[in-house]
Amino acid sequence: MKISVRDVGNAKVVEVEGDVDLGTSPVFRRTLFEALSQAATVALNLQTIRYIDSSGIATLIEALKNSQRLNKEFVLFGLSPAVQEVFRLTHVSRIFKIFQTEQEALGTP
Amino acid sequence: MTAAPRYLQVRFALPSDPRYLPVVRGAIAPLAAAIGWDEGECRAITLAVDEALTNVIRHAYGSRPDGLIELECRESADGLEITLLDNGEAPDKANICARELGCDQPGGLGTHIIREVMDSVSYELSDKGNRFVARKTLRKTP
Repeated sequence: MKISVRDVGNAKVVEVEGDVDLGTSPVFRRTLFEALSQAATVALNLQTIRYIDSSGIATLIEALKNSQRLNKEFVLFGLSPAVQEVFRLTHVSRIFKIFQTEQEALGTP
Repeated sequence: MTAAPRYLQVRFALPSDPRYLPVVRGAIAPLAAAIGWDEGECRAITLAVDEALTNVIRHAYGSRPDGLIELECRESADGLEITLLDNGEAPDKANICARELGCDQPGGLGTHIIREVMDSVSYELSDKGNRFVARKTLRKTP
């Protein structure tokens, strides 16, 4: 798994590439929590995720709950087919704000 | 010389270390595709097997990386049977529970995924250790 963070205005965009599983989800979690501590909005790009398991979905849920505690925004965009499949199986789509593109996720033109 | 098996059987013996999970995942999807499932179902079956392995690593071996897991994937006349054997803590059947759908709690997702993807799932204690068996039937379109 490769993970990186970049600044877009007051927001942070987190990019993840590869597999999120039991072995890699601790780094995924740490990166999301750190980004949430530093910006009012965190947008997570899921376009290049090849595989995500329940530990990755649990991390997303934890990050969402953390954002709500901190009164911040945590949004997702660009869901890959692999992510869509796991969202369908776990019925978690309705709890997240999900967008097609980064611009839509951040509300930028 | 023994006769060639009629159906595909694949066996893995792996340590309870998450870094080996991608190796197993890399084998399961092509195996499911060879049996006849489409791309989405192959992804789902791979996920279910991965979740079962993850449960063993986390719960039977308490995230210790030095336990032994034996995985057997066996093609059958009508689908696929997955068997996992481990020598870790026996699962407490009362605590094997799938989460409520659509809620915002992170626990129990893996068990839910396994039950959603596979047609039947069973856990038992055998003389070889904990035994998990999951089956899925290939439904051919007419």
